[in-house]
Amino acid sequence: MKRKGFINRTEGFLIGIIFLYCAAVTIVNPAFLSFETLFDILRSSAVTMIMAAGIMVVIISGGIDVSFTAVALFGAYVTTKILTEAQAPWIDHLGIAFLCAVTMGVLWGLFNAVLVHKLKLPAFIITLGTQNLIFGIMTTFIGSKTYGAAAIPKAFSRFASAQIFQIETGTGKVGVSCFVIPMILVLALTWFIMYKTKMGRSIFALGNSESAARRIGIDPFRVRLFVYAYMGALAGVAGIVYVSQVKCMYPNALVGDELSVIAAAVIGGTKLSGGQGKLLGAFLGVMIVHLLNNTLIFLGLSSSWNNFFVGALMIVSVSVTAYQERIKNRRHFIFTE
Amino acid sequence: MSKLKKWIREDSSLFALFLLFLAVAIGLRLAVGKSMYTPERMLLMGYQVPEFGLIALGMTFSFLLGGIDLSLVANANLSGILGAYVLSGAWFTGMPAQAVVFIGICTALFAAVAGGLLNGIMIAKFSVPPMIATLATMTFYNGIAMALTGGGSLTGFPEIFIRFGTARLAGIPVIFLIFIVVTLILGLILAKTGLGRKIYLYGENPIATRFSAIGNERLIILVFCLNGLLAGLSGLTIISRVTTAKVGYGDAYLVQAMLVAIIGGVSPSGGRGKISGVMIAIATIQVLSSAFTIWQLSPYNRKLIWGFVLIFVIFVNHLIGIRSRRKEKRAAQN
Repeated sequence: MKRKGFINRTEGFLIGIIFLYCAAVTIVNPAFLSFETLFDILRSSAVTMIMAAGIMVVIISGGIDVSFTAVALFGAYVTTKILTEAQAPWIDHLGIAFLCAVTMGVLWGLFNAVLVHKLKLPAFIITLGTQNLIFGIMTTFIGSKTYGAAAIPKAFSRFASAQIFQIETGTGKVGVSCFVIPMILVLALTWFIMYKTKMGRSIFALGNSESAARRIGIDPFRVRLFVYAYMGALAGVAGIVYVSQVKCMYPNALVGDELSVIAAAVIGGTKLSGGQGKLLGAFLGVMIVHLLNNTLIFLGLSSSWNNFFVGALMIVSVSVTAYQERIKNRRHFIFTE
Repeated sequence: MSKLKKWIREDSSLFALFLLFLAVAIGLRLAVGKSMYTPERMLLMGYQVPEFGLIALGMTFSFLLGGIDLSLVANANLSGILGAYVLSGAWFTGMPAQAVVFIGICTALFAAVAGGLLNGIMIAKFSVPPMIATLATMTFYNGIAMALTGGGSLTGFPEIFIRFGTARLAGIPVIFLIFIVVTLILGLILAKTGLGRKIYLYGENPIATRFSAIGNERLIILVFCLNGLLAGLSGLTIISRVTTAKVGYGDAYLVQAMLVAIIGGVSPSGGRGKISGVMIAIATIQVLSSAFTIWQLSPYNRKLIWGFVLIFVIFVNHLIGIRSRRKEKRAAQN
């Protein structure tokens, strides 16, 4: 893997887009440029960011996972149920909630890993199956009632209203939500795993070539177990942040959003055939998607236009990335098809 | 009789699939009772099969190439909605109904083929992996449909168009007959023509076809345009049957289409599978889905069942694969 400086071409391109877009929105509507908007985007992108870090790891390993939203929902829903229905007051604690959701996430992740490794079929199809399975198990056997704002555990509402620091602006106080803390921790942990541990290097190796990885003594099954379990754990974290953020728990929340998370990672330059991807790119990808989400309204467009822009951006970005790769390969007479 | 025996021996997996279908069909008759196969129920199935069967055929073709087409349902919806704009008289006013219907159908099919063409160009000319290309276009097509309609639904189609959706010929829904004709044509293409042979070869080994003077890029673009056409036909049958067009209709069809293709013996890694197998699988899934309707299962329960069946079928296929590989090994050793 070549490392030329901190920012590569894709990331430079994304930063350019972000600046141009922000400039355009500011010209149309000066109200856009404020700390409030910035903090709002940070707060609302926390869930996507946590899941995007996980999916990036999975994609780098050469796999894919579309079941993580179902895992996140499962973890969050079951945790909410436990926290609200348990009689002991000490159980209504954020730490226990995270522990509970992460444990369930890891278990589902291991389940995914075993299926993907043993059945030897495209991971997309298998995890699409498990997505339906996990969602179905939750709604059929555990419950499908909605927890309203009054019913969700106190720990979640406290977490939602907590702020790291506040600053004075002309219109009043605005603060950075505590959701940023798990987000930063997850990003740091992911960076550490991918670049500073043997497991991280194994993940890159597996994604580049499974047979080569096998020959240098990497056990693909172990790497897959780790990768999908890590995705599951992050999905658990994201689930808890999600419930706290929206302050209620629908049985059909989150599921269906997995593609926009994958879109964010892919826009950020994560190569879907595996072996390549950077955290900064994924971060910028998530930022762009959420920037569009939160600010189309400033341009006078309804949120219905969201997928239109995300889709168009995704088409351009994957085409450019794939085409560069193709030219490089053809020059060396490598034909992938 | 000897012909039947020969067929069973030659195509044991297809025969097994047929037995599975019979088992499911008879099992459901016993479980549900007389209301399972009343004439009305059969007619309803005849109306429901085409829209989802066409998607499943598209999925089959993408699987045969060793790829996947996630944009089929989104493309069907978008072309249905574009057609609906014309049909409801929002775009062309002051024209006779027949002309509006004709332009509407052409618009829908043209848009659908264009959608397929975009997929094909991304995959063939830019070497984007099929899964990610169609994921991007799926988001994009849903985005266009959503931006156009704002989430609302379109109604008010001309009388003749709606009558066509519910029309029957000798008691059989016309859209079902069209579906059968399309299936037969596709089956013939796969089994008897050079194009079909090329599709199988490409799925088996795309690098070999590249160096065998089989135009890989043209082939991919052609097949994905065909997929687009199938999606467009599906979109038209949907709006003619439901008489409204709306974003997000038939989202569950994507999982079901993959399920059908895999049950039907089409390998997602490419090169293997037959239309006849897919047909039996479509019938099996449709019978099951009708039973779910009779039992009034919630969408949640259905998701559980479809997900479970998908994993289960893949698991069984895996076991069969291990057994047959072992048998081959033993044969090679002897």
